[in-house]
Amino acid sequence: MHLPHSTLKQEFVKKWIMGLQRCKFSNKKMSIFERKKAIKLSADTAMASARKGLTCWSRALISNPDRPVPTTTRRASSACKKIVKRSRRIRRTAKCGAARKGQITRSIAQCLVRKRTQILKSLIPGGEFMNEVCLIEETLDYITSLRVQVDVMRSLASASAHN
Amino acid sequence: MSSRRPSSRQSSGGVSRISDDQIIALVSKLRHLLPEIRDNRSDKVSASKVLQETCNYIRSLHKEVEDLSDRLSQLLATIEAESAEAAIIRSLLM
Repeated sequence: MHLPHSTLKQEFVKKWIMGLQRCKFSNKKMSIFERKKAIKLSADTAMASARKGLTCWSRALISNPDRPVPTTTRRASSACKKIVKRSRRIRRTAKCGAARKGQITRSIAQCLVRKRTQILKSLIPGGEFMNEVCLIEETLDYITSLRVQVDVMRSLASASAHN
Repeated sequence: MSSRRPSSRQSSGGVSRISDDQIIALVSKLRHLLPEIRDNRSDKVSASKVLQETCNYIRSLHKEVEDLSDRLSQLLATIEAESAEAAIIRSLLM
């Protein structure tokens, strides 16, 4: 059961303010980079904590907030190219009937789904431990929470810019 | 609120693929979230396409959080609790 956007937003704001207060930003010796890291960390923790331990991704994010964001785009696109090349080679050499072509298309699709599922698992916190059913539900919840986070941060940025 | 996860019906220890029913459920929910698929009038969206759009969307959201953190670190030279709170509350009331 997903929370409505406004409830989640209020929870996030409450937790984020608490987190920011704990960071003690009034220490002027903090560099811009350190400040950015602290802001992002407090925002991520607030986003995860707003789910109150009900989702896998939020628990994973709280226990490991500094996970590196994977950049698998290049690998994924080269994997897809290999799949397409392989399928062309099979089509050229095989004596195909319509059924065989359907089989090849299906196996290409299955291969793509497998590869992209792996990528999705690497993007969701704690994703590598989830089964497929869990992954889909967690993905939806994670995207909703990310949107709330972006919403609030954007509001604060524009509010601060106007001051 | 999410309840306890049901024990996996299909985990075979090895590779378990997302079934068609799950894809249909995912598409109908993602349809509201992803602009690309929302504009696609067709009901038949391939599983791999949905996964690809999802991954791209998550990556773009991550990037936006990074950029916003950058911007906020510059804008909020000293984050005092009172001013941050006041700004947030003000912006939420708008």
